[in-house]
Amino acid sequence: MTVAFVVQRYGLAINGGAELHCRWVAEHMARHWPVEVLTSCAYDYITWANHYPAGEETINGVRVRRFPVSHPRNPEKFGRLQSEILGREHREKDELAWLEEEGPTSPALLRHIMAREKEYDYFVFFSYRYWHSFHGIKAVPRKSILVPTAERDEAIGLKIFKDLFRMPRAYIYNSEEERAMIQTLSRNEGVPGLVVGVGIEVPAESSGERFREKHGLRGPYLIYLGRIDRNKGCHKLFDYFLRFKADTGSDVKLVLIGNSILPIPAHPDIVPLGFQPEQDKFDGLAGAELLVMPSFYESLSMVMLEAWALGRPVLANARCDVLQGQCRRSNGGLYYDDYPQFREALRLLLGSPRLREALGENGRRYFAANYTWDIIERKYLDLVGRLEGRS
Amino acid sequence: MEVEIDYDNIDVASIMDQVKKVAASRPPEPDREEPDSPAAPSGYPPPAGGGPPAGPPPSGPPGFKQKLKAKALKAMAPFFPVIRLFALPLHEELKALTRELDTTNRRLDTRFDGLAMTADDRFKDLDRAMEYIKLLHTLSHSLIVEVTKLRIELDGLKSKARILEKDMESADRRERALETRLLQ
Repeated sequence: MTVAFVVQRYGLAINGGAELHCRWVAEHMARHWPVEVLTSCAYDYITWANHYPAGEETINGVRVRRFPVSHPRNPEKFGRLQSEILGREHREKDELAWLEEEGPTSPALLRHIMAREKEYDYFVFFSYRYWHSFHGIKAVPRKSILVPTAERDEAIGLKIFKDLFRMPRAYIYNSEEERAMIQTLSRNEGVPGLVVGVGIEVPAESSGERFREKHGLRGPYLIYLGRIDRNKGCHKLFDYFLRFKADTGSDVKLVLIGNSILPIPAHPDIVPLGFQPEQDKFDGLAGAELLVMPSFYESLSMVMLEAWALGRPVLANARCDVLQGQCRRSNGGLYYDDYPQFREALRLLLGSPRLREALGENGRRYFAANYTWDIIERKYLDLVGRLEGRS
Repeated sequence: MEVEIDYDNIDVASIMDQVKKVAASRPPEPDREEPDSPAAPSGYPPPAGGGPPAGPPPSGPPGFKQKLKAKALKAMAPFFPVIRLFALPLHEELKALTRELDTTNRRLDTRFDGLAMTADDRFKDLDRAMEYIKLLHTLSHSLIVEVTKLRIELDGLKSKARILEKDMESADRRERALETRLLQ
């Protein structure tokens, strides 16, 4: 059995959520099947400009075939088309024009899929909203498995996707909420699917003390991991955190790890550390009182899984149903809708080491039961086994 | 109000219900949501006053400068509504409208889940009803086909009956003819 993973970008230097997810899954499933990755030559997700040479290479033991992008995205035109189709009455051809601009437009990739269909048993498409998935699934619907990585954003309501969601042979969802959303939108209950997510590898040891010493931190701190961006709800986090400090007089700090594209308030208790290596990230998590996750749109929070892997509790934005669902299913974290709930939940967490410990332990158990790589690999094998009629 | 926690059986949903009650029991705070962009600097007073915008307070005894300023203000008075329209009032109204829209948007977000679930149930009902309609349609179609077939069969049987009738008449005639021959 040969399986092709089809994704918009691929490479060791690419850390986007869906792309990293695809790379990890492809590398792990290569232990069970011959695996190939079909992708574009793009590196930049804004323009999809060709960066890598077209052709074959091997990355971490996985054969990767790259195909050129025929025309890069024009961000200005894309923005205009997007605001038109999301804000006004439009026709299906407008949505298709938006998709052409969304990219990465790679007819060579599509030609390869159609010409070599018989060489592959299944095509696993990552990210429903890009050109490669839309046209790829239409080309080989009976062999396609879709990992939608869908968030609750406006694009998911487009008509072209409603039809697309009924076409794949099977689905691999990231969360229960993602599955419910897609099924509600497209009525595709008849298409088999499993909630799988992605595995997390945790370093053998991590030390909060080492992190504190390295960065000169004293006292309790909350940690935020990820891009510091308005889309991730960081502006609200800063606002709530500073109000919490003013209201309660707490000495807690907020440590931020990740690249910033948002101005960070100059406050002695907000500590931006920029991008940090993996080991430092886990050290930071190990030393934190809790992880705070303010994002509004997620299909699965990998950093929450990392926090639970280390037995740390989380405080998440309840306006993102996926985050709230993860907290409720794991019993590993609290959540907030607005500032009063943020204040009370954080006050409760910081005031009760026993509660933090109990939530962290629940999170650890939830992680071990659902998100170790053995379990993820088995779920992929089970799904393909079902499609093959083996179970 | 304290949050009661069963540490042996942590239930986040129950803790959050209590946290929400505690949060709701605190006195509400003035709206301190972070604005999307820093407020534009403005030296104009709020629009409610209706009069011309006031300048900074006089710094010395009234003299030529203040008289000049008063005259300038008087001369500009007809333009103040336009100035207010293009400067502060419209901006404030837009900000207020944006805040209101933002609040409404959030409320809609929170209602979305409930509505989605309700809609989901309705969709299921609708799907079921559509299945019934499809079955009824199939049934009607089958009935029509069967009735048509029976009609055709009836016509066939009628024809056969007519043929048999004629055969019988013919047999009668032949019988009578044979009898006549035998008696002769």
